[in-house]
Amino acid sequence: MSLIAARDLSKTYRMGETEVEALKQVNVEIETSSFVSFVGPSGSGKTTLLNLMGCLDKPTSGVLTVDDTDVSKLDTRMAAAFRGRTIGFIFQDFNLMPVLTVYENVAYPLVLVQKTGARERKQRVLDLLDAVGMADQRDKYPYQISGGQKQRVAIARALVTHPKLVLADEPTANLDHKTAYRVIDIMKRIKNELGTTFIFSTHDQKIVGEAEIIYTLEDGELVKGGVK
Amino acid sequence: MLDLLKIALRNLLRYKRRTLLTASLVSIGVVFVLVFISVSASFKHMMIGQITDSFLGHIQIHRKGYVASIDNLPLTLGLNPKAFAKVEKALNEMPEIEAYSKRIKFGGMFSNFMETTNIRLNGVYPDDEIKTSPLLLSRITQGEKSLQPGDIILPELLAKGMKVKVGDTVVVIATNRDGSVNGKQFLVSGILESATGPGGRDGYIHFEDAQEVLRMETMEISEIAIRLKDFTKLHSVFADLKESLGAELNQQGKPAFELHTWEKLSPFYNIAKMIDLMTFFVKLMLMAIVLISIMNVMVMAVYERIREIGTIAAIGTLPGKIMAMFLVEGLSLGVFGAVVGNVLGVVIIFLLDAAHLTFEFGRQKGLLLSLNMPLQDVFLISTIVITISALASLHPAYKASRMNAIDALRHV
Repeated sequence: MSLIAARDLSKTYRMGETEVEALKQVNVEIETSSFVSFVGPSGSGKTTLLNLMGCLDKPTSGVLTVDDTDVSKLDTRMAAAFRGRTIGFIFQDFNLMPVLTVYENVAYPLVLVQKTGARERKQRVLDLLDAVGMADQRDKYPYQISGGQKQRVAIARALVTHPKLVLADEPTANLDHKTAYRVIDIMKRIKNELGTTFIFSTHDQKIVGEAEIIYTLEDGELVKGGVK
Repeated sequence: MLDLLKIALRNLLRYKRRTLLTASLVSIGVVFVLVFISVSASFKHMMIGQITDSFLGHIQIHRKGYVASIDNLPLTLGLNPKAFAKVEKALNEMPEIEAYSKRIKFGGMFSNFMETTNIRLNGVYPDDEIKTSPLLLSRITQGEKSLQPGDIILPELLAKGMKVKVGDTVVVIATNRDGSVNGKQFLVSGILESATGPGGRDGYIHFEDAQEVLRMETMEISEIAIRLKDFTKLHSVFADLKESLGAELNQQGKPAFELHTWEKLSPFYNIAKMIDLMTFFVKLMLMAIVLISIMNVMVMAVYERIREIGTIAAIGTLPGKIMAMFLVEGLSLGVFGAVVGNVLGVVIIFLLDAAHLTFEFGRQKGLLLSLNMPLQDVFLISTIVITISALASLHPAYKASRMNAIDALRHV
């Protein structure tokens, strides 16, 4: 069953007087519990596609359903609530809250997005910190840990709400190779354990090789894709 | 809510110096306003107390038309025994009234047998007058602190100018309501310190002496001064009294009496109103300080944390919660500033009070400034600061909540 289905998905931006077609008639279906990578040069539309799938943006035309919801019809508030329930995000720059500890960063979506009970929250956070190997760093602040550790915390934060889908835009771009592989390994392990769908974009060809399904975008068009 | 507060406080601590500067600015503003309010209110209340307790009373009753001619001290506009009986009945029925004093006020000639000058006199029953104007005794700087028939208490400037001392004999000559002149010798029993306002330089004689000088066959009362048990009930008692006496009509079918609170009788009321106006403008300044400083900090906070706003929006934080996050931050800053300012303000007021500051007003010297800080003022200032903090944070918080997540995440 498809978790994501995009049909004739297009996105056009207006930059001053000119219109830029970021995505052109993209058709793609992504199954539940898959490990998908979108590759392509800068400006190929990877981030735009991820933003649309993440309900952060709306398509200019076409239909996009995520978890059986036509996300193009959601207003700002509904989209935020949908993201909080269904989608986790991992960012290139980790984007941890600097004023919160590792534990608090991971707990944040459960506190301010999902309002999970204290006991369950603690259990989930500790389990995930353990899963990403950050349990012993739980009381540290983001400035006290390395880039790789930050990204592991970001993965835990993305997963703590038990989302069906995790979107990661260039999650390894700011990491060295060894750390990047470790992060991808963690993502794959969690995908296998929890059945979460991971979609990530990357430039790194070696990292791309870790994906089960690879789609290539060029100038906003899906030029190649499928199971390896 | 506690989690929002925790994040807000952590974010405030993140920029310690800026937070401290802004909170200090708010605190200094609060201290300034509290001290100003305390000093001005103490000055105002003390002066009102001086004026009402020295001679004016809290409320005065006259025959209709008397106050319009009050500078002439007309003898033809007095209250006769029948009219006074009605007033007395109304006053006796009101438990809020502490005391009242009937006065015969008149102007006359004053002679020390060498020189003659003008004098304004009050004929009073001393016991009633002292109950109504309790500061009267303390104004008697020389001589007996009492007034017997045949005695006169002279205002100090007149006594000094006429070179009259306690124990001297003087003559008062006055024209009565029929136009005939009469005089009487008096013994100077006391010298009275001047007080600010109308009546502050009047002399006193016994009520019966006034009747004798003016050859009154029946009592003709110029005014009735009233003192209340609780000054804060001035306007409610005044309204009740007005209602009670308002129905009394004279032969022309018009109200027989006119009632005035001290506010209508003393020019100091205008100074008091000016003080209130200044207090209002000082409060406005505080509002401006809080508004500008907190809005500035919150605008900067939003601008500096655009990527964080994008992140929390992306992971599903609802716009309302993002707005609340920044509102709580601004509010916390205001609350912190208000609390520190209140504590410092109260301490400074306490120290100023302990210093026993005195001041001069007109010819009155050594008036002790008794500072206090009513809780309602502390509450009011705190409410102003906290409300303005919330208002100042509202726009930046709203902007943060409406921020496009993608644009915010792209922000460098």
